[in-house]
Amino acid sequence: MAKTYDCLFKLLLIGDSGVGKTSILFRFSEDAFNISFISTIGIDFKIRTIDLDGKKVKLQIWDTAGQERFRTITTAYYRGSMGIMLVYDVTNEKSFENIKNWIRNIEENASADVEKMILGNKCDLDSKRQVSKERGEQLAIEYQIKFVETSAKDSLNVEYAFFTLARDIKAKMEKKQEASNPTRGSGAHQLRANEQQRRPTSWLSRCSLL
Amino acid sequence: MDDDLPTDFQVIVVGTGMVESIVAAACSRIRKNVLHMDSSDHYGGLWASYNFDGLQKFIKEVNSDPKKQVQVYNLSEKWYIEKESPELENKDEENKTDDSKSEQVKKVWSQASFATEYRKFNIDMTPKLLFSRGPLVELLISSNIARYAEFRCVTRVLTWLDDRLMPVPCSRADVFATEAVSIVEKRMLMKMLTSIVGYNEEEMNNEFKDWESKTFKEYLEHKGLTPNLIHYVLYAIAGGTNAMPCLEGVKECKKFLMSLGRYGNTPFLWPMYGSGELPQCFCRLCAVFGGVYCLNRPIDKVATKTIDEGKNMITIDSKSKTLNCEHLVIGINECPKELLSTESVESCDISKAVFITNGSIMKSDKEPLTLLRFPPLAEGDNTVTVLEVGPATGSCPKGLFVVYFITNKVKDAETDLKPYAERIFDMSGGDQTEATEKPKCLWSLFCNLKDTSAPVASVAAGVHVCSGPDAGLDFDRAVLQVHSTPPQRLLYVQSDSSGYSVTLCSAT
Repeated sequence: MAKTYDCLFKLLLIGDSGVGKTSILFRFSEDAFNISFISTIGIDFKIRTIDLDGKKVKLQIWDTAGQERFRTITTAYYRGSMGIMLVYDVTNEKSFENIKNWIRNIEENASADVEKMILGNKCDLDSKRQVSKERGEQLAIEYQIKFVETSAKDSLNVEYAFFTLARDIKAKMEKKQEASNPTRGSGAHQLRANEQQRRPTSWLSRCSLL
Repeated sequence: MDDDLPTDFQVIVVGTGMVESIVAAACSRIRKNVLHMDSSDHYGGLWASYNFDGLQKFIKEVNSDPKKQVQVYNLSEKWYIEKESPELENKDEENKTDDSKSEQVKKVWSQASFATEYRKFNIDMTPKLLFSRGPLVELLISSNIARYAEFRCVTRVLTWLDDRLMPVPCSRADVFATEAVSIVEKRMLMKMLTSIVGYNEEEMNNEFKDWESKTFKEYLEHKGLTPNLIHYVLYAIAGGTNAMPCLEGVKECKKFLMSLGRYGNTPFLWPMYGSGELPQCFCRLCAVFGGVYCLNRPIDKVATKTIDEGKNMITIDSKSKTLNCEHLVIGINECPKELLSTESVESCDISKAVFITNGSIMKSDKEPLTLLRFPPLAEGDNTVTVLEVGPATGSCPKGLFVVYFITNKVKDAETDLKPYAERIFDMSGGDQTEATEKPKCLWSLFCNLKDTSAPVASVAAGVHVCSGPDAGLDFDRAVLQVHSTPPQRLLYVQSDSSGYSVTLCSAT
């Protein structure tokens, strides 16, 4: 089967609970918005393939699965990620302050050269705003990370944000490839039921409590 | 921050070790309302992987807390290198020289350079392999959890024969390619392996009928295998000793043979970034289906009461909050003593060692990933399992290898394992650039672990105890503890001697 894309980028969404990570994900992957999202259940990752300068780039965007709530994101979540969207809510001061903690968390767990971007979400709610755009910009300058205010609800800058992050990753990758002779292929396996197409439902989903 | 933690759950899981995490994922998957917590600030408990900094903290914690020494004891860390390496400090060569020069000139490592690169280490408390067709691989695939992890194939299986390391031909291709085995031997070996693959417990076919009370070695001798072949099959493939019962040896061999040819040249897979990733992957699935996660949350007290209709209610005091649930699934190391049934289980503790070296134990074109099984070198010793993993597995920085030694305890970890380590490492310290036959050992850690892998029943209804890591090569024991083989399709946590306390059971 021919691959339907040229490269695959693993992206993560990170930030406090309720800042709208899942809404951003839905806006970008399905162009949909649902005001009644409570918290994230059943969403693992979403995929959208975009066209970047003639290349088909498959973006696999992972959601935190609610594990950000009590700061229990697994180290496994960060493995192999190439880009991270740091999201805060412009109507929630605390979520903005916590961006610094999340950056520390990323530095501890993600690869050192991961691309980052800060998103100030919910910028449509101007009347409730607690964090000015200038402060967002200031923080971004401090960490030398790109920044944009977004609204998943009004579909503002969400496309722009993902395209920008993806473009930066692509540029970095190309630069790396030029600089060094082709590095050894990763050679790591993802397990699949390769020999047969059979996919029994897992017994994990069949247990029941007595 | 914890204040908005809900208090009522159907299932509370305490401890994030392998067994607990599989149960948590299973419960969440069937839409039970699950809270999963751990007393420490990281996932995995005794199954965790640590970076170098985390490992130092762990060592300090254990050495300063007698309570922790119930599980982990005789912990001793040793450096074989200098604190600082001054000549390296002022050179700005880190980035540029990587590809060409540093291959020839070995980097001189210091304790300081370990500390700078601490994040590149992932050192396992419970390093384990997966059989390519073992129950864990099947579970990872069928549950889709495989997407959260990556694996590397073990590239070679080695043994210790005639005082040196020897590769074990383990695939059909290897057997035919190897020069260490004559044509006649090859035929003998293939014939015997074929009959082992055909072995099955129910039919108990004629081949193994009379061997129930005899040793595997006797069987191999009976088959006319030469001493070399017996060595390969008994020690390297079955991982046994002279006393290994025949049927156990046959079973182990079968497991090995059945897993050949699925992903690589050997039957084994190693999880990228260490075994400690795997419990986390189960936790992620639990979270995706709504499981709530809370680390750094020790429990103070557990109480049970029966409410009407024989339903149980379990209350847990934790950080001045009371949590309620119908089922409590708890790791044995977190479980209050009074909840455990008192029958003592015969167990043999585990001796472990981790070494960091500046080269592989046996040179190879491509970076190797090695399983070595030492036959017992001295009377009374057990077989020693050695796993060597390199930078490509995300276990350590470039230029280094992490090597794990595991055996059943006889005296203490250092006495049990050092003689084996000295066979394959240069443990004298000194000049790292010196061309030596054996890789230099730069750092070592010995410890003993209490074996808590035997099933223990709880005395309270609704409380299910998960056992801890075992000394085995793979995760099978952990997986099978939660899930027995079909056709029963039971998901259970423990059974006790008074019959069968099936706690979480499948509908089919």
